[in-house]
Amino acid sequence: MASLMDAIIVCKWLLQSTSLIRAHIFASLATLLISVLFGLLVATKFNFPEFLGGHAWLTWGRLRYNHTQGIFFGWLGNAFLAFFYYAVPRLADRPVLSRRLGWILFCIWNFAVVLPGWVLVAAGFSQPLEWAEFPLVVDAFVVLAFILMVFEFVLPFLRTRLSDLYVSAWYIIGGIIFTMLAYPVGNFVPELVPGAQGAAFSGLWIHDAVGLFVTPFAVAIAYYVIPATTRRAIFSHFLSMVGFWLLFFIYPLNGTHHYVYSAIPMAAQKGAIVASAYLGMAVILVVTNLLLSLRGSSGTVARDVPLRFVWFGAVSYLLVSLQGSVQALMPVNRFIHFSDWVIGHSHLAMIGFASFIALGGIAHLWQRIPGTRYNERTMNWSFWLLAAGLTLMIADLTMAGLVEAQVWDSSAPWIDSVRSVANYWLVRTFSGLPVLAGFVMFWISLVSGPAVSAETAFAASREVSENIPIFDGDSSISHEPSFASRLSYAHVVAFGAGAGFFALSFLVLAILPGKELADEIKRAAPVTMPTLTASEQRGRVIYGREGCAYCHTEQIRFLGADVRRFGAPTEAWETKYDYPQLWGTRRIGPDLSREFNLHPQDWHLTHLFNPRLVVLDSVMPPYPWLFDGSPSRPTREGLDVLAYLQSLGRARELSGFDRQAMASSATSGTSDMAMASEPLARATPPTVPIAMTGGYSLSAPVLHPAADPNDSQEEVSRGGILFAENCSSCHGPAGKGDGKASTSLLPKPANLTAARFSDERLSSVLWNGIPGSSMPPWRQLATEDLRALVAYIQSLSVPSASSKSQETATLDQGKAFFAVYCGSCHGYGGAGNGPAAGALAPPPTNFHLKRPTEEKAWEVLENGVPGTAMPPWKSQLSEDQRHALVEFVCSLYGTPPETSQQ
Amino acid sequence: MINLIVLAISAIMFALLVVWWRWPAFRAWIEAPKYSMLHQERRFVNRNATDAVAGSTRFMANKDY
Repeated sequence: MASLMDAIIVCKWLLQSTSLIRAHIFASLATLLISVLFGLLVATKFNFPEFLGGHAWLTWGRLRYNHTQGIFFGWLGNAFLAFFYYAVPRLADRPVLSRRLGWILFCIWNFAVVLPGWVLVAAGFSQPLEWAEFPLVVDAFVVLAFILMVFEFVLPFLRTRLSDLYVSAWYIIGGIIFTMLAYPVGNFVPELVPGAQGAAFSGLWIHDAVGLFVTPFAVAIAYYVIPATTRRAIFSHFLSMVGFWLLFFIYPLNGTHHYVYSAIPMAAQKGAIVASAYLGMAVILVVTNLLLSLRGSSGTVARDVPLRFVWFGAVSYLLVSLQGSVQALMPVNRFIHFSDWVIGHSHLAMIGFASFIALGGIAHLWQRIPGTRYNERTMNWSFWLLAAGLTLMIADLTMAGLVEAQVWDSSAPWIDSVRSVANYWLVRTFSGLPVLAGFVMFWISLVSGPAVSAETAFAASREVSENIPIFDGDSSISHEPSFASRLSYAHVVAFGAGAGFFALSFLVLAILPGKELADEIKRAAPVTMPTLTASEQRGRVIYGREGCAYCHTEQIRFLGADVRRFGAPTEAWETKYDYPQLWGTRRIGPDLSREFNLHPQDWHLTHLFNPRLVVLDSVMPPYPWLFDGSPSRPTREGLDVLAYLQSLGRARELSGFDRQAMASSATSGTSDMAMASEPLARATPPTVPIAMTGGYSLSAPVLHPAADPNDSQEEVSRGGILFAENCSSCHGPAGKGDGKASTSLLPKPANLTAARFSDERLSSVLWNGIPGSSMPPWRQLATEDLRALVAYIQSLSVPSASSKSQETATLDQGKAFFAVYCGSCHGYGGAGNGPAAGALAPPPTNFHLKRPTEEKAWEVLENGVPGTAMPPWKSQLSEDQRHALVEFVCSLYGTPPETSQQ
Repeated sequence: MINLIVLAISAIMFALLVVWWRWPAFRAWIEAPKYSMLHQERRFVNRNATDAVAGSTRFMANKDY
């Protein structure tokens, strides 16, 4: 009798609660479509970076934040909540706590989390942490929502005292409890714990967000929908429970696999890798159990579209988990990490697994609500559009990741990796269209078609239940402790599972590594380590706000490829003032950890204003709102970002550790694993990094162009192509120093037609760059390419009138004037080695290696060279004196410096 | 760390297998929820169907449907 009364109460509540289910479903679909639109815009910007680029609210970084947070909170959060309202009363045999509380929860979730979160992120208030992008004020409401979820959905289970809790309930309880605890740790703690230590906490949350919010609820839906549709109990509840415990035990231990080869203690990294391998095995168990539950039901899977969604999701779950296990392994991780492979992996997880199952769950319960409409034909279209779009997207991103990784592993310029995958990005954008269409069709399925009558809805469910095999034990619900009562308080155990495993992962992945890192920082950090200035600190906030960390890492891994390209691996002490850490998990652009002294101020400003002015094929978004209309007029925010960028790696540079290490060069050839394991090897980059400048590599190889005329012609042609791709944005298409960027660079790019350069000079500049100018080093190019560039640039020089015979008397006069007026910088023999030269950047010209045309030499003598130490001499020297100087300077080219100094 | 993970997972798995093998009542107990879940679903359906088919004023008056 009591049981019947309970059932009546629950049924009444269920009827009343349907509006909540509908509200959450429509909120989920609306936010889904908006989030997918954000994603499409983000994808489009990879190929058309100027698209909507002029407005801060629509810049790539902010849209990217809103894309993932919208999917996480708006779409999946609402979909899960809708499912809870349907499933919890059935699983707990009593209604959820309160309908009023339900509406409060709905309002908080959508009007205090999703909508304000989107608006704040778009307005520039965000947190640059993966899966934690909404600002802290929104995070507070998320935590509140999870606390309310405990009351709303967990309390009914505690009140019921069910002796036999179905696996879906275990996942719901464990997921809510765990996320309630893990969310603040992942969102608030990195603001309080800096750098590498904070990254340990971030890693915890990055994986928990997917593994303990998305996964448990999606698996709960799968375990619910399959038996409810096939009319049979699942294959094994025992296996489902083993899967539950393994998942909750292992998933939290995976977090650090996002930071393999980082400064986080190796024990934590290896622990996460082992846990990742185990997780793959656990998922095999779970999916096997799900698929065995569908044995003999292939016809039902084919007919019933919601079940087909769930089946697809289960298969994707298996694939994405196995993929995750493999990509955590060091030999794979070193290659594909940071690439589009990982983006493909995350889309397979969030769409292929979680979204497909959530869609299946929604469609399943929708058919069982009287009065709704359900269009099976469009639902079928939705499935196939989504399946086709997703398959194309994953295949494309996986291949793009492999291409990127291959280029990164080579010595090719970074921009080559961007060029190499441009077409893949285009395909990815197009693959998003069927995905969007599939979601639209899904919505249409829920508002069109015949109305579901009460009889139909209940009949569908009743059919499900009529074939239930009667278990030979007590199959009714026990509201009192009975047999095996010591084990019967399953809900308490499930509650404890969430809390207990949270505490374990917190200890193992965050506290213990954090303590080790704190000790290491104390030991390794220089006694005086500069902190960020107020301007740099403000710039850091803007850098985070614009999503820069989602394309540029600040984390050089302990890998040969990383060190060759960017410099010494990032150590924990370097991040001791980073609140929150900005290590990043993705690279579209290069790592910025060693940006200090790499590019001058005007290069940065021009690059920020419009990246394509200085890097022709860059896909970086422009940031015109940091300027007053021109790169030479930055706002305070623009200057702040500039200050921050130029501070990156400063502490490391000033420490002097790397110069010492390069002097000894003791560990060249050390394997990647050994580098990550051996503390002594950590501070020692084995080679001169490609990105470093400032005189590290004075011994540039001299590249002599081909002597044979046929070979020379071919070399010049190839050099022309390379020049157009890499140099023309600054030096102009004809090398006259009039490229798009030239208006805002100081000193201006060289007019390569106005001078003759020796092989030595060009080789040195291409190899080392020119400190104090915007000319970067290009030694990442292949030697043949550099040689082709030398040949092409030499072909640009116009024969100078100065080649005529010069009078000895004039040359002697010029030599004397040069010694008086120019020698302190250019050296008394014109070799660019005067007493003041060491302090000048760019360094003074060595006229033995560069011969300007007379016209150019006159122009420089009259006007100086803005942006360098070369002053105008027009008012100080007579025309005859200047004439003599021009004659002398032009006579030096090709003569050995020793001779000129005599 | 690795040893801890491997040992802990192995211990859990081993314990579960031993209990499964040695204690038939445990098997019955742990498999029971997969049936009771379907029974609970049926009870809900029956209750709702009765109300709906009979045109219960409570049901019909509920605008949420």
